[in-house]
Amino acid sequence: MKISGSRLLDLDQEQCYRALQDPSVLERCMPGCRSLVRVGEDTYAMKMKMALASISGLFDGKVRIADRNFPHSFRLLVEGSGRIGFLKGDGLLQLTPENGGTSVGYEGEVRVGGTISAVGQRLMDTTSKMMIKRFFDKLAESLTPPQQ
Amino acid sequence: METTVTKKTERLIGKPIRRREDPRLITGTATYVEDIELPGMHYAAVVRSPHPAADIKGIDTGAAEQHPGVVAVYTGKDIDHLGAVPCGISLPDLRIPHHHLLAQDRVYYVGHPVAVVVANDRYIAADAVDLVEVEYEPTDSVSEPEEALEAGAPAVHAEWPDNVAFTHHQEGGDIEKAFAEADVIVKERIVSQRLAPSAMEPRGTVASWNSGDESLTVYSSTQIPHILRTLMAGVLGLPEHKLRVIAPEVGGGFGSKCELYPEEALTAFIAMKIGKPVKWVLTRRDEFLATIHGRGHIDYYELAAKKDGTMLGLKVKIIQDVGSFHMLLTPAMPTLSVLMLPGLYRFKNVHADVVGVFTHRMATDLYRGAGRPEATHGIERMVEVLAAELGMDPVELRTKNFVPPSDFPYDTPMGVSYDSGNYAAILEKAVQTVGYSQLREEQQEARRQGRLMGIGIATYGEICAFGPSPALPTGGWESATVKIEPSGQVTVMTGVSPHGQGSQTTFSQIAADELGVDIDDIVVTHGDTSTVQHGVGTFGSRNTAVGGTALVLAIRELKEKIETYGAMLLESDDVSYAAGVCTCNKTGKTVTLGEIAMTSWTGPTYPANTQPGLVATNYWEPPNFAFPFGAHIVVSEVDRDTGEVAIQRYLAVDDCGKVINPLLVDGQVHGGVAQGLGQALYEQVVYDDTGQLVTGEYMDYALPKAAMVPTIETDRTETPSPVNPLGVKGVGEAGTIAASPAVVNSVVDALSHLGVRHIDMPLTPEKIWKLVQQGGSA
Repeated sequence: MKISGSRLLDLDQEQCYRALQDPSVLERCMPGCRSLVRVGEDTYAMKMKMALASISGLFDGKVRIADRNFPHSFRLLVEGSGRIGFLKGDGLLQLTPENGGTSVGYEGEVRVGGTISAVGQRLMDTTSKMMIKRFFDKLAESLTPPQQ
Repeated sequence: METTVTKKTERLIGKPIRRREDPRLITGTATYVEDIELPGMHYAAVVRSPHPAADIKGIDTGAAEQHPGVVAVYTGKDIDHLGAVPCGISLPDLRIPHHHLLAQDRVYYVGHPVAVVVANDRYIAADAVDLVEVEYEPTDSVSEPEEALEAGAPAVHAEWPDNVAFTHHQEGGDIEKAFAEADVIVKERIVSQRLAPSAMEPRGTVASWNSGDESLTVYSSTQIPHILRTLMAGVLGLPEHKLRVIAPEVGGGFGSKCELYPEEALTAFIAMKIGKPVKWVLTRRDEFLATIHGRGHIDYYELAAKKDGTMLGLKVKIIQDVGSFHMLLTPAMPTLSVLMLPGLYRFKNVHADVVGVFTHRMATDLYRGAGRPEATHGIERMVEVLAAELGMDPVELRTKNFVPPSDFPYDTPMGVSYDSGNYAAILEKAVQTVGYSQLREEQQEARRQGRLMGIGIATYGEICAFGPSPALPTGGWESATVKIEPSGQVTVMTGVSPHGQGSQTTFSQIAADELGVDIDDIVVTHGDTSTVQHGVGTFGSRNTAVGGTALVLAIRELKEKIETYGAMLLESDDVSYAAGVCTCNKTGKTVTLGEIAMTSWTGPTYPANTQPGLVATNYWEPPNFAFPFGAHIVVSEVDRDTGEVAIQRYLAVDDCGKVINPLLVDGQVHGGVAQGLGQALYEQVVYDDTGQLVTGEYMDYALPKAAMVPTIETDRTETPSPVNPLGVKGVGEAGTIAASPAVVNSVVDALSHLGVRHIDMPLTPEKIWKLVQQGGSA
């Protein structure tokens, strides 16, 4: 499944770039993320709970950051597996200044397999859109200073 | 002891006797595999691959083994000494990959069994499946058969990089001459999509090992208990007479339970290993992954004809999606298609090339119709395409080309001999009943109003009564034992293994008429290798034609013995038996079957050269298949705004030879039509381009619901088969075979004025809507 889109964040480009690679921020903002622990250079171990249609389960996985080009772009590689199958994602995030904030463009491909594919296929598209939206909502919320 | 006097003069063959199976089925007192509970029962659950193609780098069973309640976890290395899942077919260049019960160092399809967990509780077993850690290294996979045939495609089995599982060529007549003489040649690519057989009861097995006498009892949801026993004994390395297989109540199969599946043998293996009874039952989700699929054809047709509609010859290339392994009869499926390619038509020139292709998918194998629906769909679509090309009425075109009644037995170019038939008569009956010419007028009127109404015709011929032994890897005979108990009741043991067909009812009718006893004095048993003499099983519409004939012959043999005993008791040489009574033709004195039976078992004296007991067994080998036929007509209307197809009339006129029970024949037609219509409009097994199954439950796999199946009008002609003494042919698969082309032909007809000539199944609203929007061009 191909995923692409963009989201405007009310932060400058460098702040945005750092936040998107900060494990504590990601752990807080990624829907279902239970833990994200640095295990090596640019590599993190992740545990996340995922629910789709009538199935849910814990995923054990790995997140890797590659092709860093501060503060413009980086690549995010995610893979995980659990009782309901596996997922594998590869996405390029591109940051560009826009209207005083930063536009985060994302483009990538997600592959799933196992039960999650067999019984959740028709909900994959909307579920991933929803999860991405939630991620950015939380990110915006946690990074934007409260309005006075 | 009191003896039962049974007398009967009314004949039951041909009567709509209600199913004698139903009281136990509808009151929940039938015993399926799931209902069997044995003391100390343990439960098995299977770890399956989520990848279509991957190397197994390691399996860690530690956490699962330590889980409270888990008694064992087995992986590929534990079973590598056992035999392979068998393929029973031989073809000259057939490639058979070794199909282990559990994956060894690679997985080949999503759902491939990798490990099996055993626990003292089924929930614990299911939970512990998640604790087995399998490290996979995924490799490239190939899912579509035509892609698998391309150079450079990932090899499913490394030793055969072309992915060709087998080829098969068959021809008759002179195809080159036929095409050279043709005025018109029509061509079409026709797909028969993969289907999930969807038996109501999922597969399941209970196995119980007796260590004292080293014997194994296996209860399995199977169509072939005796064959399963032979195969399983081979896989397990167990002497066959130490193995008892019981098919308890079986909730449908449609061919999908005509196998030895890995899980059946694994359950038996585990019971022997742990010395406790073990139950394994498939979940519906796993049923989609790991029970065989049906169909899976991509076919290229070329039909040659004269301008006047005379069909001259047919060239077909069949691409069969095999999946990653052969199951019991997989390679035979497209060869059965080849036998039916000419349909009911008399052209003599046919050229067929088959290629079976390995893909990273679950295996295909027999599903209701098994090869014949694909062929019938093909020829019946091609006839319509030709009719459109020539501007001829499809009824006229068919009638012009039918094999005439005077030509039977008719030798087809594919080497089979159609036993009997009157094809023009059955189509004429259907045309008259449905009011065809008036429907054509209504269609013109509908078109003037802008409505999309279509009339679809399909005729079919069917190969039933499987079958003569040379045509089957299993033996094609069937058996029956008839025993008159001391008090006069009748026990029938048949080698077929009905699982929804109602054969206890039809066999009771046959026995009641042949013996002249009351139907309530007959019990028909089956499905237990320890009590039934031997048998082949239930598939290929063979129960009544082959098993029923063995029953008739056993009874006829037994009647001679009854008369021998009657003669002794009546002290006369001139006696005859009828209607439960043996009569002395000179004195008129009588003795009942009950009295004869008691004497035969308890003496004190027996006729000279005659053994005690009224029991007879017959094994009947049919000399040929039987060939039923029929004509189905569908009236449908397409909603141009939504693309939805509404079936307004469904008429099925079938000829299955002599009818034993019209209720059961109608039931078979109804069920078959529902499944064929399911293929035409709704169902398809879909794997995505990464080899993942995406139709893994009924939310995604559209099996028609009751409300989606129209009222089905049924009618019949009755042309007895000369192949067996009952004159029956078979009707188990007819509805499925006729329905898909009849429905598709009706929808193509509804859109024909837009230039539509062919649409592949399923006819989803999206597909139809797009065609309508685009004015007919795909």
